[in-house]
Amino acid sequence: MSAMRVDAKVVMLGKESVGKTSLVERYVHHRFLVGPYQNTIGAAFVAKPIQVGDKVITLGIWDTAGSERYEAMSRIYYRGARAAIVCYDLTDSSSFERARFWVKELQNCEEHCKIYLCGTKSDLILGDKNLRQIDYHDTQDFAEEIGAQHFETSSKTGNNVDELFQKVAEDYNNAAFQYMTEEKGVDLGLKKDSYFYSCCHNN
Amino acid sequence: MMSQRRGIHLDQSELLCKKGCGFYGNTGWQGLCSKCWREENQREKQKQIQEDWALAERLQREEEEAYASRHQKTQSQPAVTPFSKFEERKTKEKSSKVNTVTKFFSPSIKTPPKKDAAPFDPHSSPSPSSSASRPSVDSDHATREFIDFLKPLKSGREVFKQCRAFTESMVYKREMGADELSECVQDFYQNLSERLQTQFKGSSDQVETVMDEVEKYMMTRLYKEVFCPETTDDEKKDLAIQKRIRALHWVTIEMLCVPVDEEIPEVSDSVVKAITDVIEMDSKRVPKAKLGCITRCSKHIFNAIKVSKKEAASADDFLPTLIYIVLKANPPRLQSNIQYITRFCNPSRLMTGEDGYYFTNLCCAVAFIEKLDGQSLNLTSEEFELYMSGQASPHWPQSAGASSSSPGSAALTQVHKGLDLLTGLGERQERVMEKARQLESDLIDWTDEVEQKVQSVLESFTPEAQNPAAATAGGTAPAPSGASAIDSDNVENELLPPPLQPQVFAG
Repeated sequence: MSAMRVDAKVVMLGKESVGKTSLVERYVHHRFLVGPYQNTIGAAFVAKPIQVGDKVITLGIWDTAGSERYEAMSRIYYRGARAAIVCYDLTDSSSFERARFWVKELQNCEEHCKIYLCGTKSDLILGDKNLRQIDYHDTQDFAEEIGAQHFETSSKTGNNVDELFQKVAEDYNNAAFQYMTEEKGVDLGLKKDSYFYSCCHNN
Repeated sequence: MMSQRRGIHLDQSELLCKKGCGFYGNTGWQGLCSKCWREENQREKQKQIQEDWALAERLQREEEEAYASRHQKTQSQPAVTPFSKFEERKTKEKSSKVNTVTKFFSPSIKTPPKKDAAPFDPHSSPSPSSSASRPSVDSDHATREFIDFLKPLKSGREVFKQCRAFTESMVYKREMGADELSECVQDFYQNLSERLQTQFKGSSDQVETVMDEVEKYMMTRLYKEVFCPETTDDEKKDLAIQKRIRALHWVTIEMLCVPVDEEIPEVSDSVVKAITDVIEMDSKRVPKAKLGCITRCSKHIFNAIKVSKKEAASADDFLPTLIYIVLKANPPRLQSNIQYITRFCNPSRLMTGEDGYYFTNLCCAVAFIEKLDGQSLNLTSEEFELYMSGQASPHWPQSAGASSSSPGSAALTQVHKGLDLLTGLGERQERVMEKARQLESDLIDWTDEVEQKVQSVLESFTPEAQNPAAATAGGTAPAPSGASAIDSDNVENELLPPPLQPQVFAG
């Protein structure tokens, strides 16, 4: 009954219809769904265990609503996230502008959150180079500037999808021990005092 | 004390303080003025505390008796109440499995003094719920369950002692702000789970299970103290959001772009279930149980979307639907519940897991509802103002002026459709009635006709030919009138001998 224990929270950010849900669906179920055939109840939250070295890291992948009307609330979503996959559509320059917005938000609000830029629908560009609206090198520069990782993926073919999430898990694993102690910033000595030893007088 | 409690029926004389001090009384304070109430309440509180201690001692006695009985199983116990017999049986069952822990918990049952006179005074609590009115019973129950859970654990005794001590200490921190209380509890959770991990060498799954039980036990007992505490403005926020949702009653599925089609029976069924679940959240005490309600609600929403759209739902579909459900449900004490969960839930669950995801979505939905304006519903601000002030409604676009666009007219067409359907039904019913009347008269005509035919046949044939003719007539029309006519005209009857009469024999 109890839900799977989750190690790290990963949020998917991006404009509507850039393919956040498809990306998760491809990664978790190894399929690309077109049309009415679907048997998953919903891909909004997925807990996915990933093998990293000799450890298993469980990522909790949070899909978010990309519509601008919920922009004000996006902060609630990525609070406490360890990683954010900011998606944009390679064939839609407006989606990249929105991606820049989220990057700025994340930098302001979540310093522990690692950012992954993800250009989706790369299969479309393979078919027709003219469809590309976001230059690879420009994005690469932007990613370096903000200290982010950069991927171009295709949920249809599965290209680069596993690599993206594997990287997320590895980075989390490497960084995990650093955050563990500083996360809450509480004074351990003080706590012990007040709640474990001082209450003995009640016995 | 008990007689004052009955003062629900209010008449003029009762407006004054019951102590006769001359000030006005208040029903919320059992008809006393504020000053007298404080004095009275203090006394009640003292009494409550004493009763709690009595209860605690009784529980402890029972535990000890149960413990003692384990070692003298054959000995009869006339003084033991039925409950402790049950307890004893339970302990016997346990003892076969547990050999390391014997007298761990027997001397340790104590109930902390409860706040105010809550169990005696359901009128004074701001919004009494069924579960809140019997806290001591629930707390006892939680304590027993917790003990039963911990008994087989190696570190069970230690854990229980710490939890009990902490829970009791919390009662004295009542004056603290809600955030401080939350910090205390969160620190305690963190400390305990760290200790479980390091000192008692539990695996992270085990620790999680223990922490769930710890949360359940502690929050059941502390619920009264820390849910919607007086030190916060939670209650005010509750009322604000409730009012806000009421004012937004005119928001339609179309305005929110909700991808569910409630005309499909399975979908409307899921919607109703989702609404029920989110309302049910208020009746739970443990943060985890409250989260469970939200998760169930969300699952129903996903089902509704899946059936409507025939594809898996993404967050882009889910959030609007959740907003719609919250607007429709207007869950009681929404803000208090959210605050309570945020403050006292085990943080790891809240921040990362599935429950946390749905809870975050609920928070978003509430934030959206609070900030909602015309733009977020694709309305002009004038329209929004008109709807909010009740001067116009999207359901009657005429009054909103010429600008009323798709959202209102959609609802209107639905109403029209309904009306058309009703008129259609009325007409059909009329037709059915008419046909029925016609059928009735046809039937009457028909019987008459048959009768006439039979008569004419009888007249035109000789008595010898009568029988076969009657048989054919009877075969085609089993009408009673025809049959009796045949019978009454049966001449052969007269030729039969008279019926036999019963005779009395002497022997």
